[in-house]
Amino acid sequence: MPYLLVLPTLLYLAIFFAYPMVSALQLAVQADVRYLNLRAEPDVTAERLPGTIAMQTVVDIIDRERGEEELASGRTRPIFWYLVEAQTVDEETVTGWVNQRNIFVESRTESVTGRINDGEPVTEWTTRHIRTMVNDFRFNSALRNTMLMIVIILPIQFVVAIIMALVLQAQPRGSTMFLYIFAIPLGISDLAAGLVWYSLFTQRGFINSFLVQMGILDSPFIFIASGQLGWILLAIVLAEVWRATSIVMVIVVSGLQAIPRDYLESGQVFGATLWQRIRYIVLPLLRPSLQVALILRTILAFQVFAVVIAISGGDVFTVLANETFRWYDRGDGGYNNPNVAAAYAGLIMIISLAISFFYLRAIRSQEETTG
Amino acid sequence: MLFLRKSLPPDQRWALFRNWVRRMGVYALAILISLWILLPIWLIATMAFSTRSNVRSFPKPFFPDPISTDTMQFFLNAEGILSSTGNSLIVAFATLALSTIIATPAGYAISRFVFRGRDAVRLGILSVRAFPIVILAVPLAVTFINLGIYDSLWSLALLHTALVLPTSVLVIASVFASVPYELEEAAQVFGCTPTMAFFRVVMPLTLPGIAAAGIFAFVTSWNEVFAAVLLTLTNRTLPAQILFSLDKASDPFKFAGGFFMLVPSIIFIFFIRRYLFSMWGQVTK
Repeated sequence: MPYLLVLPTLLYLAIFFAYPMVSALQLAVQADVRYLNLRAEPDVTAERLPGTIAMQTVVDIIDRERGEEELASGRTRPIFWYLVEAQTVDEETVTGWVNQRNIFVESRTESVTGRINDGEPVTEWTTRHIRTMVNDFRFNSALRNTMLMIVIILPIQFVVAIIMALVLQAQPRGSTMFLYIFAIPLGISDLAAGLVWYSLFTQRGFINSFLVQMGILDSPFIFIASGQLGWILLAIVLAEVWRATSIVMVIVVSGLQAIPRDYLESGQVFGATLWQRIRYIVLPLLRPSLQVALILRTILAFQVFAVVIAISGGDVFTVLANETFRWYDRGDGGYNNPNVAAAYAGLIMIISLAISFFYLRAIRSQEETTG
Repeated sequence: MLFLRKSLPPDQRWALFRNWVRRMGVYALAILISLWILLPIWLIATMAFSTRSNVRSFPKPFFPDPISTDTMQFFLNAEGILSSTGNSLIVAFATLALSTIIATPAGYAISRFVFRGRDAVRLGILSVRAFPIVILAVPLAVTFINLGIYDSLWSLALLHTALVLPTSVLVIASVFASVPYELEEAAQVFGCTPTMAFFRVVMPLTLPGIAAAGIFAFVTSWNEVFAAVLLTLTNRTLPAQILFSLDKASDPFKFAGGFFMLVPSIIFIFFIRRYLFSMWGQVTK
């Protein structure tokens, strides 16, 4: 009975999580290509010779023969067969027959060379998409910016989230209202957050309005421009801290609620200062919550995408998710290449798994050394 | 302010004073953080309710003067906005319905039955909730193209359901766990079948919680951008439509669009605020 009830969920998750993840890796390392095998006789039923020939290989024509081909309607039509000498993909020379549909010749009766242009579809393993990704001129900056963002955003988010949680834990009057306000960003999309911070950082935006009205600046300062990576990064970091700190806060608050009050009270009785209580009682007991929040936030940070586009337009500053989109995009701005997009997706998956694994290991070994 | 009272001994007054300072410090921090969150929302709201010429003006005022719906109207009348809002609503409601239908039995099973592999199921559901949609969207888009269901709102709703399903299951499980099993037993003692007991007794008590999970699914779907831009081409949802218009959009369009996207989130978070902790907090348990 319980199995029956959870079955739909498990099936659904298998279809929409397990399958795409496998399929993402597959798309990234496989390619559909066509290869041709020559035939021993000028006949479609003849034995295939070993040694595959790649498309666009130029071959020497030794002999030709006019055959006949039976159509589905029962009528026959003439068809040319060519005896060719060709280089295989293993750089061996084979001689065999090829049908006119698989080879391009200038003249059916006169040409002495032809070009192979059709064959059997084969799926093969390839590093081509990964090479295309790594050699792309935006790859390095996307990787660097993503890592930089994570390294800067996460510590700020955790400090702010712990402060927010401690404030709520102190239960000031109106704490339910404060909880609601602190939780508002949970429902805000990264696109909306990006647009909000765009309105602050744009040339005629609120920050410039404020600075000019206060007399600090004479004319608006251009934050978002191609030479200004630092300012763009700052705007994105602020937008992300603004939007995504609440989820860390919620996790920390529920972790705090699990800490027995006696621990803190006994700390107070023995004269521990607020900082000592946080450092030696709260933080160690919060470790499991912080660990989960850290993994969650790191993985989610790889999704940052609309914020970057809304603030910077996506060209002067780019991140991995943005590149995934650019390579997939079938519109004017995109490259319409799902394989390279899948390579980016696979890269994101591998990095996030590696980081999660690292966190788990690092935190566990720390526990072992401290006993 | 008790510490000002002269009748108390000085050391007690000192302790009371320190207590007062600490309380004020907490208030100051709470208000500071609230301002940090609310100020940007206020600023974009003032832009959304100014005239378009005021939106373009510099320096920008802190209060809208005059208050006008001109910018909002301009945004809503822009090409594709109304239809994409409709699309977003369809996808969000489909996600809500589908995720609730699939997640409710699973949540009930996890909270009510002790069965072999329960912890594995819980853990499995937990571990997929954090997976970046960036990874899922590309291969699913390719699959949908092969299956011929690309660029359809339903395929997007299917993906959004996968996205919210783990959270929905866990929230609904915690909601069922909060209703004592004794109530169900009592109903059965008074002659209800287990199914009747579920619909007559448990369902009414858990409906608000299940509704909260549904609202969460709705908001997630409404906000989701990446899969939406990948999976739809002509049937864009609102975030996808805004994202694709950004490079040629004017500031009034961007500000009003940002505000328009914000409003449902702010309202919905208000309704589900009681369930926030069972939604995100229980990851560590």
